[in-house]
Amino acid sequence: MTVHLRIWRQAGPDSPGRLAEYTVEDVNEHMSFLELLDVLNEKLITEGEEPIEFDNDCREGICGSCGLMVGGVAHGPQPRTAICQLHMRHFNDGDTIVVEPWRATAFPIIKDLVVDRSAFDRIMAAGGYVSVKTGGAPDANALPVTKEDADLAMDYASCIGCGACVAACPNSSASLFTASKIAHLAMLPQGTPERRRRVLNMVDQMEAEGFGDCSNHAECEAVCPKGISISAIALMRREYVRAVLSS
Amino acid sequence: MSQTGKKLLAVFRSSIGRKLLTGVTGLALVVFLLEHLYSNLLYFSTDPDAYNENAHFLISLDLVYVLELGLLTFFVVHIIVGVSIYLRKRKARPDGYAKYQSAGKPSRQSLSSRTMIVTGLVLLAFLVIHIISFKYGPGIEEGFVVTIDGEPVRDLKRLLEEKFQHPAYAFGYPFVMILLGFHLRHGIWSAFQSLGAMNPRLTPVVYTLGGVLAVLIAVGFLVLPLWIFFST
Amino acid sequence: MEIAEPHVTERPERSRLKARVPAGRLQDKWDVYKNNAKLVNPANKRKHTIIIVGTGLAGASAAATLGGLGYNIKSLCIQDSARRAHSIAAQGGINAAKNYPNDGDTIWRLFYDTIKGGDYRSREGNVYRLAQISNNIIDQAVAQGVPFAREYGGLLDNRSFGGAQVSRTFYARGQTGQQLLLGAYQAMSHQIQEGRVEMLPRREMLELVVIDGRARGIVTRNLVTGELERHVGDAVLLCTGGYGNAYYLSTNAQNSNVTAAWRCHKRGAFFANPCFTQIHPTCIPVSGDYQSKLTLMSESLRNDGRVWVPKDTNDARPPSQIPEGERDYYLERRYPSFGNLVPRDVASRAAKAVTDEGLGVGETNLAVYLDFRDAIERLGRQAIEDRYGNLFEMYERITGDTPYEVPMRIFPAVHYTMGGLWVDYELMTTVPGLFVLGEANFSDHGANRLGASALMQGLADGYFVIPYTLGGYIAGAELGDVTIGHSTFADTERAAGERLRRLLDVKGGKTVAEFHRELGQIMWDHVGMSRNRDGLLQAAEAIRRLRDEYWQNVNVAGRNDTLNKNLEFAGRVGDFLELGEMMALDALHREESCGGHFREEHKTAEGEALRDDDDFAYVAAWEHTGDHARPQLHREDLEFEYVRPSTRSYK
Ligand SMILES: Cc1cc2nc3c(=O)[nH]c(=O)nc-3n(C[C@H](O)[C@H](O)[C@H](O)COP(=O)(O)OP(=O)(O)OC[C@H]3O[C@@H](n4cnc5c(N)ncnc54)[C@H](O)[C@@H]3O)c2cc1C
Ligand code: HEM
Ligand code: FES
Repeated sequence: MTVHLRIWRQAGPDSPGRLAEYTVEDVNEHMSFLELLDVLNEKLITEGEEPIEFDNDCREGICGSCGLMVGGVAHGPQPRTAICQLHMRHFNDGDTIVVEPWRATAFPIIKDLVVDRSAFDRIMAAGGYVSVKTGGAPDANALPVTKEDADLAMDYASCIGCGACVAACPNSSASLFTASKIAHLAMLPQGTPERRRRVLNMVDQMEAEGFGDCSNHAECEAVCPKGISISAIALMRREYVRAVLSS
Repeated sequence: MSQTGKKLLAVFRSSIGRKLLTGVTGLALVVFLLEHLYSNLLYFSTDPDAYNENAHFLISLDLVYVLELGLLTFFVVHIIVGVSIYLRKRKARPDGYAKYQSAGKPSRQSLSSRTMIVTGLVLLAFLVIHIISFKYGPGIEEGFVVTIDGEPVRDLKRLLEEKFQHPAYAFGYPFVMILLGFHLRHGIWSAFQSLGAMNPRLTPVVYTLGGVLAVLIAVGFLVLPLWIFFST
Repeated sequence: MEIAEPHVTERPERSRLKARVPAGRLQDKWDVYKNNAKLVNPANKRKHTIIIVGTGLAGASAAATLGGLGYNIKSLCIQDSARRAHSIAAQGGINAAKNYPNDGDTIWRLFYDTIKGGDYRSREGNVYRLAQISNNIIDQAVAQGVPFAREYGGLLDNRSFGGAQVSRTFYARGQTGQQLLLGAYQAMSHQIQEGRVEMLPRREMLELVVIDGRARGIVTRNLVTGELERHVGDAVLLCTGGYGNAYYLSTNAQNSNVTAAWRCHKRGAFFANPCFTQIHPTCIPVSGDYQSKLTLMSESLRNDGRVWVPKDTNDARPPSQIPEGERDYYLERRYPSFGNLVPRDVASRAAKAVTDEGLGVGETNLAVYLDFRDAIERLGRQAIEDRYGNLFEMYERITGDTPYEVPMRIFPAVHYTMGGLWVDYELMTTVPGLFVLGEANFSDHGANRLGASALMQGLADGYFVIPYTLGGYIAGAELGDVTIGHSTFADTERAAGERLRRLLDVKGGKTVAEFHRELGQIMWDHVGMSRNRDGLLQAAEAIRRLRDEYWQNVNVAGRNDTLNKNLEFAGRVGDFLELGEMMALDALHREESCGGHFREEHKTAEGEALRDDDDFAYVAAWEHTGDHARPQLHREDLEFEYVRPSTRSYK
């Protein structure tokens, strides 16, 4: 099949950007969307043009490197699928597909479709951990955790940090990202001693990075490749109230 | 400032604090609306004095000023926070997407959720007109008086009937009430989520009930002006 | 064409490498080491800068631990965040000898299984230490909040994995690597917050700086601005992962590479057993030449899936219409006692054997069926969904078929490289001060790695081994004052810049990816699952030619002073083109079959691998001797005091 692409090109952080038009022929339906971009890039290189930059690494939906707005939706039209796992059989011959980078003040564009997501790392560093030095940990079975809690913790912990939640959010809020880590650790006894400091510090950092507030659109849950529920955000708010009241 | 004061201020400055505030004030305003709706619907009571009696009862409460002040605070806080959330959102993404659409379920993004600031601002403008027209509108001195239990009280019912003769009022009000319905379609559910009261099982239920309540409130309010316009 | 016989096939001279395994009983060696290791004064630790390249399980755990101890850490990775290292992709699980299920596991048994699984090509001392440490890793991870799977009683669940006879694998759904890496990344983030770790993402290490015979720094390229940067330190820890991408298609991530290790090799670090590559039997087959990677399907699928091909070469019927009698369940037939659960290398070769006979299925005929029909009949669809639901979903997403109804099509793919930079018991290379951790070293898996043991090794190295061995080095070494102003830094930086410029200046007619694909094809055909002398000779020659062509005809797009992934890849492919030849030479010199290295000339009458312990019970460590010179072979003889090498039999 043939697809037409309108792709955001931007030479650098301060350069103006624009949507450039490309057409790729002989697209195989088994190709992934990123492989389509590979094919296009090969063509561009051969024609002496600069290839389109986009972040990607594992190409199996787990590292969280990839992230594109495809057709106006973060990670494209298939639910619970990172764009690296989206295959061309979900498109039709002759489609025109708009491809844009994540857009948010807190995610400045580096080049073309590549953005700087280091704000996420800083939110994590503000408290997204259990302070435990190496060695001296008690036996792994010393603290039982109910299977339900462990499973729920795993649901929240499955966040891949791709930033789709921010990209899709009409407010560019990082609430789902931040909340999923808070919720993961709040579900487990190991996370309990630091839960108050954690939520206060992480929320502060989220604020400082310039993300928007959450208006409960729940768009984040719809585009999250892991389908993390916005109950995480509700839980974060409870944790926050508890932390403020008790400190 | 006291420790607690500082703490509270910090809460209000944080993004979660802002949501707690919109949630609390939003729900408080909904409670107020329900009260107001009840008062309005007394218009249809078989007792022709019920409406004015109730209005009189309300303004003669000892605590009326406290209540009004509270209500005003809720409004002001709600508005300030709502507007600041909106402004932050603008700052958080100054350049929008060339193409953007919702991914669909389980997203709760809707016309209603996207237009909270618009419906909110219209409600604000409406409120000003509404308060000038009724609260500070003509009263006993201007002849809008009726005697109940031997006491002269303000005849709000007549004022209502006169105002809604006017098509601008009779149709303007319902229009705004539809917008109120939109505000609440997202608002009611959202307030519970803001207060952290949601979990995956509760969310769909509350979302649906919130929608139903929004429609009921909007319809409840808009029947009165239309009824008066068409029945007299 | 007449092909010159490379010199290396001659008997290597008996230069012996010392692994420096402590004396004493196997069970005591690590304790003996720790008892005698020199310590660094706590107040002095912060004066020592340690450069850690890579933030996978090995690098992140090392950064977290050493930062926690008080060292001044500089940590770098290619991706935009430390959390995205390829360890994130590991699905299946991590082994430990906890024996929670009480099914007879012990440290000894984990040690023994690992040595045997590695086909007796690894060091007893190292592997025993790994098994000893395994339990601490689980404790550490749980304390960090890693949400391992649990039973209803609230305790940790275990499963049997990769054909092990005991259930010793801990797992977090199909995302074990992700959860372990996030645990380490979070611990490292804590140290970043404390100011002990400085994290520099989007950096690629291009050169090692060796001053006075010691590793004292690195040169990196800032991948956003293209600037070359110098970093000075008292030791360099290389935690840069595996080099499976030499085959172009593999289960590795796009950015996985050999560059850092290869540049260290060229600066004096020996490269050990480069030909030991693991080819994983259950991956989704190639569907076209646009293919950029292969996706692993967890090997746990073989617990319930049955592998088969049609008996008839021309059987084009859809699988459901092929009657039972016309199917060949070849693993069950050839290996009655292990059946579908034979180790990876055995399963992969068997798949290759049947497809070579023309029995393969699917569009390309390069696939075999993995069928869940019987398991679904026996256990019900729900049970299968509970076990493999997310894997089935992933398969369906990629192929468009649903494994509940149509058997999966699978084929082997390059997955893991047992080879890597040679390190001694302390994880130090032949360059003092250069340590290598995780998949990047050659250490613990011999000629074949067992499932769920790479995560274990990476974390063992980072959390529990390096804190002791690095301390020993730092406390014992005379480390002079060196700054980035040192002339060696300038020279090394110049060399790195030169190479980038050369790549950009070729402006030839073939893209980097075309070269990479060609290299991959050569490697897969001749240095893959089954190797023979002629093929290896041909491969070495073909790679040499391809490399020459590369430097004359590659077309690298864009500029050096911006983000330019094409340039990054160009550098990496340049290194793969050198490594590939060495892999072929190593495979050529090892005249035996062991683990993942199968030489067609060395097999039993039944076609199984035939080891030669008399002549090849050694680690082959190659020394770089010049860009156009053949590498020099050094041996580290493997002595087995506690286990007796036997023939692996899964019949
Ligand atoms: C799909 C898949 C599934 C697997 N499943 C399992 C499993 O279930 N159980 C198991 O035990 N093992 C499994 N493995 C193997 C295991 O995941 C890896 O061997 C292990 O995670 C490697 O960890 P590492 O820390 O050594 O390297 P990696 O995690 O690969 O990290 C390498 C790091 O080095 C950095 N780096 C590389 N080169 C440079 C450079 N030049 N400059 C700067 N930085 C650089 C990268 O950015 C990255 O941060 C699996 C592997 C794959 C591919
Ligand atoms: C009768 C009057 C009103 C009622 C009952 C009401 C109710 C609500 C409720 C329940 C919410 C949801 C709170 C939450 O998300 O946590 C909300 C949100 C909001 N309201 Fe109102 N509101 C009223 C008036 C106004 C007015 C006058 C404004 C003026 C600007 C306004 C602006 C907003 C905005 C912007 C939001 C969205 C906040 C966000 O994005 O998170 N509202 N309102
Ligand atoms: S490339 Fe790793 S999630 Fe898409």
